[in-house]
Amino acid sequence: MPSRHAGVSQNMAPDLNSTKDLFVFLGKSVFSVLEDMVFTLIPKPQKNVAGEIVLITGAGSGLGRLLALKFASLGSVLVLWDINKEGTEETCEMAQAAGATRVYAYTCDCSQREEVYRVADQTSHSWATFFVAPRIHQCSEKKGTRPASNEQPYHIGKSLHMQKGKRESDYSDVQGQVKREVGDVSILINNAGIVTGKNFLDCPDELIEKSFDVNFKAHLWTYKAFLPAMIANDHGHLVCISSSAGLTGVNGLADYCASKFAAFGFAEAVFAETVAQKHMGIKTTIVCPLLINTGMFEGCTTKFPSLLPVLEPEYAVRKIVDAILQEKVYLYIPRVLYFLVFLKSILSSKIATLLCEYLGIFNVMDGFVGKKKKD
Amino acid sequence: MDLILDTVTFWGKILRCLLESLIYKIISKKKKNVAGEIVLITGAASGLGRLMAIKFASLGAILVLWDINEEGNIETCRLAKEKGDVKAFAYKCDCTNRQDIYRVADQVKKEVGDVTILINNAGVVTGKMFLDIPDDMVERTFLLNVLSHFWTCKAFLPSMIKANHGHLVCISSAAGLVGVSGLSDYCASKFAALGFAESLFLELNLVKKTKIKTTIICPYFLKTGMFEGCTTKYPLLLPLLDPEDVAQTILNAILEEQLYVIIPKIITFTLFLKQILSTEMTIALAEYLGVHTCMASFKGRNKADEVQTETEREHL
Repeated sequence: MPSRHAGVSQNMAPDLNSTKDLFVFLGKSVFSVLEDMVFTLIPKPQKNVAGEIVLITGAGSGLGRLLALKFASLGSVLVLWDINKEGTEETCEMAQAAGATRVYAYTCDCSQREEVYRVADQTSHSWATFFVAPRIHQCSEKKGTRPASNEQPYHIGKSLHMQKGKRESDYSDVQGQVKREVGDVSILINNAGIVTGKNFLDCPDELIEKSFDVNFKAHLWTYKAFLPAMIANDHGHLVCISSSAGLTGVNGLADYCASKFAAFGFAEAVFAETVAQKHMGIKTTIVCPLLINTGMFEGCTTKFPSLLPVLEPEYAVRKIVDAILQEKVYLYIPRVLYFLVFLKSILSSKIATLLCEYLGIFNVMDGFVGKKKKD
Repeated sequence: MDLILDTVTFWGKILRCLLESLIYKIISKKKKNVAGEIVLITGAASGLGRLMAIKFASLGAILVLWDINEEGNIETCRLAKEKGDVKAFAYKCDCTNRQDIYRVADQVKKEVGDVTILINNAGVVTGKMFLDIPDDMVERTFLLNVLSHFWTCKAFLPSMIKANHGHLVCISSAAGLVGVSGLSDYCASKFAALGFAESLFLELNLVKKTKIKTTIICPYFLKTGMFEGCTTKYPLLLPLLDPEDVAQTILNAILEEQLYVIIPKIITFTLFLKQILSTEMTIALAEYLGVHTCMASFKGRNKADEVQTETEREHL
């Protein structure tokens, strides 16, 4: 069929090339198998993240806060983003108590592209204006106590945020906050997320759009903001907190699923790009947890908690941080998810649906209450 | 006790499923009659949208064709009407705009009737490395490739539920199953479209127990011009697909009310491999199959900064 090959433009490669490719592939496969065998015997090495600049979105509560505390204990520099000022403030203090020497907290609405860029830019350079630099460091130097004055670093973020639109011209040379004040982010954890938990037709359009803006589009903007520097330094780690709802559809979560699927697909595609462009220093970790008991999915239950447990946050964070330190690409927790996703790839859709029905996956959202809405 | 009953029912249903699929391998599945059904196709001005429209026309369906490209849309209308006594209505609609979708949907409801088969096909691809894609192009890809699905479903699903009759068709992509270098925004949008269609299917069929069908299509590369310049390293394993063949496969899938259609079927095997191989091996395999370089010579149909939206279904 001539038409079948009409579109092929380059694969008239000589046999030699194909053979070489095949050998390379086989060689890599063998190496990979050996590597896996070795790492079942000895634990995989964990990288040292002391001094790395870790940016966590949604750090004001839940998983984001716990991740911040864990990285604090590992000696990383923390950059905390959240729309909730009080939450970030609290995380900041807790992080100091956990041993962090440098913590920067910013109020940032990740669903707004321009705000992400503005707050992001601020970290890279040290901005030597008098009313910024001293305030930023107060959070980290005075452990456990608030600065005497009522000016606080997170207020800096917020005041610039409030002046957005009105007095942007006053700050026209201020691209953003994080890049100026902290430095190049080397570990980016896209964690911020919201869930509406309504049936599709009952979900207002604005909420659907908001779900996408926070759960997925924020990832686009943070990548745009921080990936170039990672590429320039050939050093970085992109962490995407997706969800098991990013692996399979769930009723009552149409918008959430779509946004988590998007986050997963995006992170995977950019990971493929880093591989294709041979940026060996840039790692990716995509996390798909089932349900974590942080309040976000309050009221949700699983039918077989021994098989599909609602995870304790501490356990989840431990697994996630381990995966990051071991530079694992995919992390599904609980581990049974690997098997279920494998089944999904081989079973017919009817049988897979029956299985999910039996496992109660479609009733998970029945008792959903969720977190109290923030402002 | 409950658990035992559940388990027994579960195995019973599995058995029935297996028997059914065995039977359908021997006798082909019955194809439903769509004469008189109102079929709405987004992105009908060219490529796959046009081909599907023409095929539905020959089956006697009433066509509602949406596209931002008025000229192409009218041409599709004309080609469809050549198939005989065909009712076809062409509307100009910017599917990146929620209000426009709702406005034209209302028009359709008044002038044509309740849509019973909704085919979300309109799509666009930029085909650049992520950092090289302008922000507004990324947003546009997302608005067209997935958010439009939300709004069209919002517009047409209520009447389908009321009549307990309807069919939602989501044209996703093999790029909605695995991330590909050079297709970051496209992959994200196609993943999302798939996730949305799946969730909605579960809501409609398992919770509400309606008779509304869902079909999710994931094709590989199509030779429609949308992915012009793309290459496939091993054309015998993964050939570039003929649009006519794909349109026919999709039509059959809709008529047989299949849920997932992955074209070609070998991709199902690669997905299976992805689950069992370690990440390093999967990367090595992808490298060997040339997956990372397939977008390297991408040209596409129109320049990225042109207003005209690509309205074909694309592949991976």
